Amino acid sequence: MTPFLEIRNIRKEYGPVVAVHDVTLNVGRGEFMTFLGPSGSGKSTTLYILAGFDQPTRGDIQLEGKTILDTPSHQRNIGMVFQRYTLFPHLSVGENVAFPLKVRGWSKADITERVRKMLSLVRLEGFEDRKPAQMSGGQQQRVALARALAYDPPVLLMDEPLSALDKKLREEIQYEIRRIHQQTEVTILYVTHDQEEALRLSDRISVFSKGVIDQIGTGEELYSNPSTRFVAEFIGDSDFIPCQVLATRNGRADVALGNDLTVLDIPLHGKAEAKANVELMLRPERISLSTKAGDRALAAKVEDITFLGNNIHVAARIGDRTPVSVRVPFGHEALSGVERGTPVWLSFDADAAHVFSA
Amino acid sequence: MVSTLEPQAKIEMARKRRLLPQGMGATLPALILVLVFFVLPVVALLTRSFTEPVTGLQNYVELLGSSTYLKIFFNTFFVSALVTVISLLVGFPVAWALAIMPQRGANIVFGIVLLSMWTNLLARTYAWMVLLQRTGVINKTLMSLGIIDTPLVMVNNLVGVTVGMTYIMLPFIIIPLYGVIRKIDPMILQAAALCGATRWQAFRAVLLPLAMPGIASGALMVFVMSLGYFVTPALLGGTANMMLAELIAQFVQSLVNWGMGGAAALVLLIVTLSLYALQLRLFNAAGQGRA
Repeated sequence: MTPFLEIRNIRKEYGPVVAVHDVTLNVGRGEFMTFLGPSGSGKSTTLYILAGFDQPTRGDIQLEGKTILDTPSHQRNIGMVFQRYTLFPHLSVGENVAFPLKVRGWSKADITERVRKMLSLVRLEGFEDRKPAQMSGGQQQRVALARALAYDPPVLLMDEPLSALDKKLREEIQYEIRRIHQQTEVTILYVTHDQEEALRLSDRISVFSKGVIDQIGTGEELYSNPSTRFVAEFIGDSDFIPCQVLATRNGRADVALGNDLTVLDIPLHGKAEAKANVELMLRPERISLSTKAGDRALAAKVEDITFLGNNIHVAARIGDRTPVSVRVPFGHEALSGVERGTPVWLSFDADAAHVFSA
Repeated sequence: MVSTLEPQAKIEMARKRRLLPQGMGATLPALILVLVFFVLPVVALLTRSFTEPVTGLQNYVELLGSSTYLKIFFNTFFVSALVTVISLLVGFPVAWALAIMPQRGANIVFGIVLLSMWTNLLARTYAWMVLLQRTGVINKTLMSLGIIDTPLVMVNNLVGVTVGMTYIMLPFIIIPLYGVIRKIDPMILQAAALCGATRWQAFRAVLLPLAMPGIASGALMVFVMSLGYFVTPALLGGTANMMLAELIAQFVQSLVNWGMGGAAALVLLIVTLSLYALQLRLFNAAGQGRA
């Protein structure tokens, strides 16, 4: 069976600069796929190629088995919500939503009916006659969503649509987007640099870095099993502790941290031989902290303690150089008597650890 | 909400009222200059239209009652309208290109537009005569290519006036249009394309309405300037399509008829001011609708 949307070896060069490096990706019908990555990682370029604003240097994009690259933007029948507010400022909200239907030659009665339906989908009933300038940023993006979905596009592209909004509003609209996705079952490709947003919204996430996709998977897969150091750093918080390889077998490694602490059989990402210097990745919430010396623990010194609501963030340093963050639930007894400069011992759960070659 | 805003607005207004006379002081030298060297002579000229040769409206009766003069009025409007329309058609693509070009290229093109505006008006008009006349570059080229046998008549007629004036007016349409189009987010047009609009539909339904303030102010500027234009019609135009400014010059210089000259000038002034008032009204109405 052919996948619904297939991106095959898409490459985009701007002169000597390669913006997108042979990206390949399949998206299922009705899936919410997020392109996550820092700016300049190629995620937006890939989206613009999908929209038809840019042609790839090579590669192909197929929708239900047919290439869309030779179809100009206005015939692709794809919906898009942009980063900036792109409502037509001279048209009312109703006219904005009606615009794609008008250019498609719909009858007046059908347009009126559909505009009402779309505005109720985004919960803006009764706003037909407002001008975009009279609405808040969040409302404008909801109208943009209604306009992009009015013609039942098979695919909806969203290019950082919430980046101009403040945090509280962003979360509110994320919830709306989820609801609308469930209600319409439209396939969504969503670009963001905000990992929290990606985790909250997506079925699957493609992590972009320097023009390539490092890893594709559900949020849980990316968090518990990152395949590159970049993914480990980008999704959730992470600590990297230098260590040395003792032995490797079948993509797993035994490593030594300092002189007397070894951890065995940790998933190894990248190539490393015995004696190679590598890094052990730990999640801050999987590290526990104690003021009593333990035999399988790393000695560290507390540098800072920050209250984050339900969590306490402890910044510590192992030896002279390696900084480590530890997350302890608020009120946990381990923290009694701990302050800046207190020597502590860190132990960790090896299940959650990964080794990345340097 | 209203109760907190109102005192604020009152304070603002009071502050402005207090600032106004202070601001006026700085404009005083300019005001005096305008009053002495512009307002007084113009008023004097216009007054003579009611007093010479005798007190009364006889100058206006003659001006508006004669088919010769009415034809000149009509011709003035016709040429001005034609120049405005052609300037818009030629200037819009230039303004659009300027707005979407990379800054460096835009600066160069903009420089060319300004340079042509800063070059001496007479020099430019004579240059057109050289190009357009019977033995001019255009006729010679066309004839040597065998496209035409006899030279085209392009000066001392409507063609000459229209070409010459359009060229002079172009910057006055490009500059305001460029200012307005540059502020339109190109993403809005990409959004229109993804909505399914063809280039033409996006132009008609999105770009054109958004550029309308620039079109309106540019067109009014060109039309009004054309109504009173003298040099180009005098040099490139013919007697068959004389314009109002030429008529005024003829009354004053050749016929030494200050009364008729003043009358023609007043008619021109009234038409110009009414057009300006009309545009202000339309523009403000549109502005209120938008807010």
